[in-house]
Amino acid sequence: MKWLANFYTEREQSILGGGFILLLIVLWELMPHLVPLSQGFSLFFTTPWKIIEACYQLFVENKIQEHLYVSSIEFLAGLGLAIVAGLPLGLITGRSRNLDAMVDPFITVFNATPRLIFLPLFILWFGIGIWSKVMIVFIGAVFPLLINTYEGVKNADRVLVNVVRSFGANEWQIMKIVVLPNSVPYIVVGLRLAIGRAILGVVVGEFFGASKGLGFMIATAATNYKVDVVFAGVAIFMGLSLILTMAVKKIESNLSRWRPEETKTF
Amino acid sequence: MKIKEFFAEHRRLWLGLSSVLFVLAAWEMLLTYVFPLNPFFFTKPSLVAVAFKEQVIYGALWGDLAVSSKAFLWGFSFAVLLGIPLGALMGWRRTAGYTLDPFFTALYASPLVALAPLIIVVFGVGLFAKSVLVFALSVFPFIFNTFAGVRSTDRLLINVVRSFGGGEKDLYFKVILPSTLPYIVAGARIALGRGLVGIIVGEFYAASEGIGYAISRFGDTYRLPEMFASIFLLMITAVALTEGMRKLETVLAPWKTTQETR
Amino acid sequence: MGAPLIQARDITLVFKSKDREPVTALRDFDLEVGKGEFVSIVGPSGCGKSTFLNLLLGLIKPDSGEMKLDGAPITGPGQERAMVFQEFGLLPWRTVRANVELGLELKGVPSPERSARATELIKLVGLKDFERHYPHELSGGMKQRVGLARALATEPEVLLMDEPFAALDAQTRDLMQAELLQIWQQTKKTVLFVTHSIEEAAYLSDRVIVMTARPGRAKEALKIQLPRPRDYEMRLTPQFNELKSRIWDVLKEELTSRG
Repeated sequence: MKWLANFYTEREQSILGGGFILLLIVLWELMPHLVPLSQGFSLFFTTPWKIIEACYQLFVENKIQEHLYVSSIEFLAGLGLAIVAGLPLGLITGRSRNLDAMVDPFITVFNATPRLIFLPLFILWFGIGIWSKVMIVFIGAVFPLLINTYEGVKNADRVLVNVVRSFGANEWQIMKIVVLPNSVPYIVVGLRLAIGRAILGVVVGEFFGASKGLGFMIATAATNYKVDVVFAGVAIFMGLSLILTMAVKKIESNLSRWRPEETKTF
Repeated sequence: MKIKEFFAEHRRLWLGLSSVLFVLAAWEMLLTYVFPLNPFFFTKPSLVAVAFKEQVIYGALWGDLAVSSKAFLWGFSFAVLLGIPLGALMGWRRTAGYTLDPFFTALYASPLVALAPLIIVVFGVGLFAKSVLVFALSVFPFIFNTFAGVRSTDRLLINVVRSFGGGEKDLYFKVILPSTLPYIVAGARIALGRGLVGIIVGEFYAASEGIGYAISRFGDTYRLPEMFASIFLLMITAVALTEGMRKLETVLAPWKTTQETR
Repeated sequence: MGAPLIQARDITLVFKSKDREPVTALRDFDLEVGKGEFVSIVGPSGCGKSTFLNLLLGLIKPDSGEMKLDGAPITGPGQERAMVFQEFGLLPWRTVRANVELGLELKGVPSPERSARATELIKLVGLKDFERHYPHELSGGMKQRVGLARALATEPEVLLMDEPFAALDAQTRDLMQAELLQIWQQTKKTVLFVTHSIEEAAYLSDRVIVMTARPGRAKEALKIQLPRPRDYEMRLTPQFNELKSRIWDVLKEELTSRG
């Protein structure tokens, strides 16, 4: 008995949290057996097992691979562009006060508005092919990256900058030696936010104007009342975002080995 | 010389203002004198301004904005009413926190927007569906920020109040609530952004009213100046709300330097 | 001295924690403080001196032993005891005035009385021009003066001070010590003062109690025979230095042995 008590107290957190989720899933699965469902409601109802089945079928019948492929391309291209544009811009605006002042109004305004508002415009410009989605992913992801990199640069330790400068370092060297390493945690936060926005961009972009992609698959399944496929799609997105978040965590811990535990961003 | 000083002091403002004016002017010039303007593809500031005047002052855009706001407020209010107490519960009672945290984190991390088509199919097109979507997206920042705020209450202050004989009620109202307030307001700011996404997606996808609908309708009919005008209207609203939130943050919590986690 | 105001006997306290060995903070700790006395407690880090203050304050209960105030056992926080904390513990969202009123507010004292009392104390600690300021606008010394005013507001018999000046710079610290003595002279409270600084203990107190390393016990009590009122120059006399070195000799053993 004591061993059980110890076991519990050690892992209390995961037992409670995991147990709760497990309980919900089980209840969900058992619901049609426990509660009588009206005709209308059962049209929209599905259970965890059915979702898993649907997932399996999609993969086995090779219906999902193409969609996954298209969505991934849109995601990666958009995110890649966002990193390429956002990081350097964040660095420069962080170091140059004039440039910062000039660019600030645009950034503030664009950051405050939901970038999805530009979707109809992008579809008008780029059609319903890949590019409109890439652009919406780009415009969603670039701002967190830019802003957080900017914050990271701005928060560079003044003392360290002066130290390096006193040894005769030029602007570029200061950037490399002090500013960049210091900004890593900020950039990581920005990357995490950017990934979230990017996924959002892919999902919504494909709802609205697309002929391929996971979002498109979800949207068509919804109109055809294939609720299990809808949830399967959502689950896949969840899984992908989880994998990406863990990847970012790993990258961060690799880059932050010198930092004391409490200051890590996760 | 006075003018020079004035410029130097408000340098940031002037640089910002002039760069915006420059971009607008360049945009106008380029599309008037340099490049041919294909009206199905592009537009220029002067045309947008005219469309703005028409739509906003004489037209239906205000009505659209009102419809969107109503749905937004419904969803957002429920997010506040449910999210804050939930977050507080999780922060104050350790077991509640342990139990609910992973579940909510999983939900927060998943693109709940992906359920939008389902929500619309189930609840139809209209106020209720949009509010549900707004709620689903904006409730989580309230939960998590309140959670973090309550948990971060300075234990020392709790001991101080206890040492003067304060009871549970005193602890809640005199320490925990004021201490958590800046977190809640910051959460509100984040929730605002997410809620806006909810309302836009809801209206793009299937709606017959609202500003999101207006934008996509103008797009479908290639009325670019009107489309830009509506986008611009939404931008102004969004900025006003967000900056208003920031101001609120500084007013309600002058003692705290909140971190940026936009 | 008469009957002691504070009596602690055989106090033992063990801290149990989930993933560590239990820690005995205090074992068979005895202490007596007379009414109106100024007593300091010094000891090595982790010896349990702050823990003891918290026990007296009533926020934690000992595992065994008894504590009495004026003959009555201590069962929880009470109006007769007030603490001044090392990290100040001011509510950041309240002004100086509202902070000083906190104790009175919690006791249900009506507003006009609270206000009058707060005004008195704010004047006493010399913060009259700052009563509408917020803590983040104050220096460390000023914050601690607010802490002191707050503690005195409820008119406690005993003032518990947990390294109150440790977070201040040396000059402010000296100033605050002098002010504290003045205020003590005026208000005639019983003070129990925890500190790391032998000099501070010797300067301020009637008696200095040296504690052993963890688990803490009162090792020895030294009487400070310096005349009152005390001034800064006294700290430069050979007599003072001798006192200091006596305290040091007792403390020294505890620092090197374990802890």
